[in-house]
Amino acid sequence: MSSKTRRKIITHEEQCVGCRICQLWCSYQFTGKFSFSKAFIKIEEPYGLEPKISFLEDCTTCGQCADHCLYGALEKIEEGM
Amino acid sequence: MEWNGYTGNILNVDLTGEKISIMKQNPDDLKQFIGGFGMNCKLGAERIKPETDPFSPENFVIVGVGPLVGTITPGASRTAGISKFPATGAIANSCGSMSFGFHLKQAGYDHIIISGKAEKPTYLQIIDDHVELNDAKDMWGSDIVETTDFLWKKYGSSGVIAIGQAGENMVRGALTLIDKTSTFGRGGIAAVMGYKNLKAIVTQGTKGVSIAHPKEFNEAYKKLFERIRNYPQRQSWHEVGMLRSLPMGLMLTAQGQKKKARQVSDRFYLKKIKKRRIACPSCPMADKDILEIKEGEHCGLIQYTSSAINPFLMFTLKGLNTYDEVIKIFDLANRYGLDSLTLTALFELITRLHEQGVITEEMLGLKWKSDYETLAEVTEMIAYRKGLGEVLAGGWKEIGKKFNIEDKMLQVKGLDVIFDPRFMRLGTMEFEQVVNVKGAHVASGGSPTYATSGGSIERFKTHFKRMGIPDPAIKRIFKPLKEEMMVNVPRLTRYSEDWYALLTSMGLCARAQMNRFFSMENVTNFYNAVTGFDRSQEDLRIAAERSWNLLKLLNAREGFSRKDDKFPKEWFNNLKYGNNELQLHDFFGTTVITPTIANQLLNDYYDERGWNLEDGLPSQKKVKELELTPYM
Ligand code: SF4
Ligand code: SF4
Repeated sequence: MSSKTRRKIITHEEQCVGCRICQLWCSYQFTGKFSFSKAFIKIEEPYGLEPKISFLEDCTTCGQCADHCLYGALEKIEEGM
Repeated sequence: MEWNGYTGNILNVDLTGEKISIMKQNPDDLKQFIGGFGMNCKLGAERIKPETDPFSPENFVIVGVGPLVGTITPGASRTAGISKFPATGAIANSCGSMSFGFHLKQAGYDHIIISGKAEKPTYLQIIDDHVELNDAKDMWGSDIVETTDFLWKKYGSSGVIAIGQAGENMVRGALTLIDKTSTFGRGGIAAVMGYKNLKAIVTQGTKGVSIAHPKEFNEAYKKLFERIRNYPQRQSWHEVGMLRSLPMGLMLTAQGQKKKARQVSDRFYLKKIKKRRIACPSCPMADKDILEIKEGEHCGLIQYTSSAINPFLMFTLKGLNTYDEVIKIFDLANRYGLDSLTLTALFELITRLHEQGVITEEMLGLKWKSDYETLAEVTEMIAYRKGLGEVLAGGWKEIGKKFNIEDKMLQVKGLDVIFDPRFMRLGTMEFEQVVNVKGAHVASGGSPTYATSGGSIERFKTHFKRMGIPDPAIKRIFKPLKEEMMVNVPRLTRYSEDWYALLTSMGLCARAQMNRFFSMENVTNFYNAVTGFDRSQEDLRIAAERSWNLLKLLNAREGFSRKDDKFPKEWFNNLKYGNNELQLHDFFGTTVITPTIANQLLNDYYDERGWNLEDGLPSQKKVKELELTPYM
């Protein structure tokens, strides 16, 4: 990422299937353990009719969760500054 | 010792004494039995005494989760459970998925051993170190969906195994649902829980699962993940899910039910029925469904299912005319905790025998019509054991005796046949229904003939290799009873079962769309990277075979033998299917299977297993070779 761009992750909650792959990858890369609760991305009601995706403050917007989501629910966008 | 993949903990829950304790795993046991399914067999063998009444405090429910569950290994989310099943009297394993296994590992446990009987309705809460037996008075009498929703509201995102009214009323075949979606315990685990006054188990945790060798793990993961990402059929799996795997439309058309066939087409499903797709944790091939009825009398009904095929199979029943009727009945069955497949088989049989005058309305105590209203009424009667429901709740064995129809029932050992080989031909999945200790069930016979049906012999070989079938065995598999049969299905069945035992011990998905990505090689790599153990492919293959043999030995203790591995008599009669009369054929449709040939097929299966031909049980030699002598 160049210093002139900023990365954002856009969510498409209607595409989310609740697989939690994003959380597992995030927690693994930052803590070395697989966990839902240690991830910087939150999936609320993963099996509800409308799951909710949000990011915690500690999220570095590294975008790796989006790289691992196979369902099109997370999209990485590079924005010019 | 430091545990990776495994948590190293086994939870002991004595419902009678309300005592909870933790036991440590023994690494030597894991070498022998891997975990999940395999370790369940060992824990069950040491605890369930021969001839235990399934409905007694001495029966156990043991839940196990394999070493890969809790990691990001694709498709590692299975939960296995062993008990003595009331529908059959067999000691058997059952499997489910969704999030229970993940949450249990996060809480810090590999297995839960449940014994005794609670004095009053209870649910088990496993949240990290807070393991408690809680009052379930207010939940008793509610259905599975209500129970699960209640617990999710209370605990937030968590794994839930719950029973419905059928379980509470000890309907012999009652099952539980995991996360109100995945069936778990066909053949009666819910009835055992109901007897024990155990309404539900809820689990959640924050401990995280660590792995031993991240570098090796990352390598194995990246390779597999990219293969799955680039799999050309992935998108279509996401879209239509399990409907890809069974041509329901063809089935209905062949039966002469064309109007209905349209209602199970992909287009109709996508437009009118599918609400949303959901997945088990770590799954890149999401195939679970949330269905919604969007019009008509049942408008607004929401229904979760682990396979859209299950409700659609009910559609084969004459008298159910529209898809929404089918989903409504399926919803009732799921809420009560009844097996929709068993319900379909029961309804079909009674309707047929009623038409033939074998079963009269006087015998049934009910006006019988093959229609939606009757089916809805009977479903409720079974769940609450009312009137005719009291007999039907007793399972196939009791029904057979009561109406004197044992020879007409499509069942093995007390469980109904799921796939009739007269329609599907005799592949491993159909044949395995005869030899499975559990009774007629299909999960463990599924691979790989289905992945390659209609495919070339070369493609078969690719699958045999990935499953780790040794070369000499592959040679035997290509030597069937008669040359034109091409493949020796019974010999192959042995390896389908062992492969299933391996995946289920690891905690990996065995459904075709995930199964196809696993090989002996990558599973071994994942296992070693996660656990830090150094096991060869051969070690793991033998551990899986050992587990399957141990389960067989447990059932030998219960009196099961070759006499129980019986092709249903009805299979040898023609099946009327629309305008066609279907006969029982081998997998390639070249040979009619007669009772004599069926017997020879069984011989081949036992021979490949190294079991005695006379009694169909593991031979002394096999038992010794697998170090199972203490369990004889
Ligand atoms: S955002 Fe993507 S990876 Fe995360 S749970 Fe939803 S579908 Fe799965
Ligand atoms: S962007 Fe990076 S840090 Fe943020 S949730 Fe995704 S993986 Fe975690």
